[in-house]
Amino acid sequence: MTYWLLTFARRGSASYLSHLDTARAWRRTFARAGIDLVLSEGLRPKPRLALGLPLPVGAAAEDELLVAEVPDLAPEPEVALPTLAAAAAPGLEPLAVLAVAERPRPQAVAADYEFGLAADEGAVAAALQWFSAAQSTPVERVSPKGRRIVDLKEFVTDTWCRAAQDGVCVGFTVRHRSTGAARPQEFVSLVADQAGVEAVARHLLRRRVVYTGLPAGFAGGP
Amino acid sequence: MDSSHEGWLPDELGDLLARVTRPGRYVGGEFNLRRKPGASPRIVLSYPDAYEIGISNPGLQILYTYLNDATAASAERAYCPWPDMAELMRHHGVALWTLESFAPVAACDLWGIHLPHELTYTNVLELLDLAGVPLHAGERGEGDPIVLGGGPGSANPWPLSPFLDAVFVGEVEGRLDAIVAALGASSRAARLQLLAAVPGVWLPAAPERRARRQVFMGFSHTMPVTEPVVPVLEAVHDRAVVEVMRGCTAGCRFCQAGMWYRPVRERPVELVVEAACEALRTTGCDEVSLISLSSCDYSGIEEAVRRIRALRPGVRVSLPSLRIDSAAVTLARLGSEQRGSVTLAPEAGTQELRDAINKGVDDEQFATAVRATFEAGFTGLKLYFMIGLPGEDDAAVAAIADMATAAASAARAIAHGRARVSVAVSSYVPKAHTPFETAAFAGEEVLRRRQTLLRDLMPRGVRISCHDVGASVVEAALARGGPRSGELIEAAWRRGARFDGWTEWFDVELWRAAATDVGVELNALACAAPSQPLPWQSVDAGFEEGFLTLEAGRAASRQRTDDCRRGRCGACGVCHDDVSMDLVG
Repeated sequence: MTYWLLTFARRGSASYLSHLDTARAWRRTFARAGIDLVLSEGLRPKPRLALGLPLPVGAAAEDELLVAEVPDLAPEPEVALPTLAAAAAPGLEPLAVLAVAERPRPQAVAADYEFGLAADEGAVAAALQWFSAAQSTPVERVSPKGRRIVDLKEFVTDTWCRAAQDGVCVGFTVRHRSTGAARPQEFVSLVADQAGVEAVARHLLRRRVVYTGLPAGFAGGP
Repeated sequence: MDSSHEGWLPDELGDLLARVTRPGRYVGGEFNLRRKPGASPRIVLSYPDAYEIGISNPGLQILYTYLNDATAASAERAYCPWPDMAELMRHHGVALWTLESFAPVAACDLWGIHLPHELTYTNVLELLDLAGVPLHAGERGEGDPIVLGGGPGSANPWPLSPFLDAVFVGEVEGRLDAIVAALGASSRAARLQLLAAVPGVWLPAAPERRARRQVFMGFSHTMPVTEPVVPVLEAVHDRAVVEVMRGCTAGCRFCQAGMWYRPVRERPVELVVEAACEALRTTGCDEVSLISLSSCDYSGIEEAVRRIRALRPGVRVSLPSLRIDSAAVTLARLGSEQRGSVTLAPEAGTQELRDAINKGVDDEQFATAVRATFEAGFTGLKLYFMIGLPGEDDAAVAAIADMATAAASAARAIAHGRARVSVAVSSYVPKAHTPFETAAFAGEEVLRRRQTLLRDLMPRGVRISCHDVGASVVEAALARGGPRSGELIEAAWRRGARFDGWTEWFDVELWRAAATDVGVELNALACAAPSQPLPWQSVDAGFEEGFLTLEAGRAASRQRTDDCRRGRCGACGVCHDDVSMDLVG
């Protein structure tokens, strides 16, 4: 058994896929490329393929991680990469494949995001200053499991903004802790509310995710 | 910012996508998507329902593939936006776009809209309105696309006739080149004139000129679609599809598709196996469905299933529309290592009624098939029935419960509680070009009473689901409608009717109010006898004159008509000089 660490970019139309749809698109890509995946055991076996960290719907990404379990007879990674690229859905672009013998257990610790906001730069800068100065910034999170309060201050750091075409580009880092993490849209909404504009993020992008539990030197590792 | 892909999607669309559910419905990006920038003519294909439904339609895949791969035209797609998106589009003044180029649908040369069933008709108006194309064909001008309807709805093109410039009647594959050629004319009027000369095209503006239903006789030697557009979102069907046979010879008298797609044509096993393997490769699916109106009747079915399974071990081969016999159940077992559920459709509860509708199954065959299902290890059995059939009474409805009781007993005895039986009950709506085309619709009160009766009689442990009676009433009001039906559809749409096939969106009260708006009562309209001459006589389905009346008479006297593949020719008249049955071997 071999494990592949595959890094990929998600752009364009693929940005609008959900986490499960992205995983399904990759399973389909492997099948189209003729590269078998090891199946799970049980009544309904599923190909063993997992994405490192769910991406929000609507977010592009430059450097995402996928862990796939392939049989020993799988092609060499350098041979597989162009085959996967040719078989991938538009907007999903494999960047590199590294084969490792031991099961990797990646754990996301931080992720850098950027988004555009149709707002005045001064208003956004003031919103970020307010966020930095605030002791806590609780937001309500509603999910099928119920409602809970999340303090974004606990998770969001390194905020910045700069003027961009048609508005402002905002950047921030989400820390992933044992207690959870902030959702990018929660921070978008907070900044937009403070800046007095509608919370519609343009070109939401995850630039980088930092993981622990990956082989030393692997791109994206600490 | 995502600079590498900036501009791939206009910001105005991006802003809408950030606010809607499932934005992936509106951006394309599927596997095997075709883009032909600059190609002419530009054709848009639409399915008047949500993306997840429309993308699974094999008919549009055929047209999309042929137009893009074999003609100079470009074919792009647009599906009906979900109400949240529609509201935002109207609010922001954004017109419907295509998934391939994000260009406005309204700027195309031809807009082909599939008409799958009556409950999608308000969505046709929704599509036109969201695209900014004038609703009424008579109001369209030089810059507007020609709107061409097609698909099963063309059997009675009148309800949508005010909104369509033309309707293609029958199977269009053999006429696509002629349609593309007609679009080369310099003016809209000239294009319509050339289109009118294409066999199978009916113009609402010239209704006296009958259109003959087209039969694609190239079916058996044409490769099925092997490189379909594969959604990256979860769609209703997540599998490769190979159409093994078109048409059906069973002759069920209630079945419009069985009448409409005559005669039966089969693809050679060799072609089916090759297509299945190729489709599995290009789609990345782990399941292939061998589709037709009755796949078990396909002459090469067992060989095809065995060979596909031998070439692609582990792949599931699914067979919709199982015949009711043990051989069919064995076949279903052959197609998959997994033992899920089997669906059988006895359609009616008594032998007398099954004879009347020409459903060739008797109690013994049913019992054998049920036993075979559970003995094969399947853990679910779904039974399909209809109520409201011509000649039905309460006793016949009670007999449905008896059959479900017998199936549940077999499940307990053979599967020892590991298998479940469920019953799905739909309401029969008489359709054009069937032997029951002039039969009375049972009506709202009768259908509701019989649904209640059936629920009361159904044994414990058997799950029953009944089709919404209100939806059946609307379907019946439109299915045999004439020139004025369009007024009802438009009134309903203006009152907000959309996605009428979805229980969460369907509201019969909107339709009742719309009917009042146009001066009719909805249930009375649904139950009314069709006007004479029958409106759908504008369409020549190819039947010998008197055939449907003869069949209706045989139904009344409970006489069966042979399956013409195995028994005597029913003399329907469809087979003639260049149209005939085309069977494997």
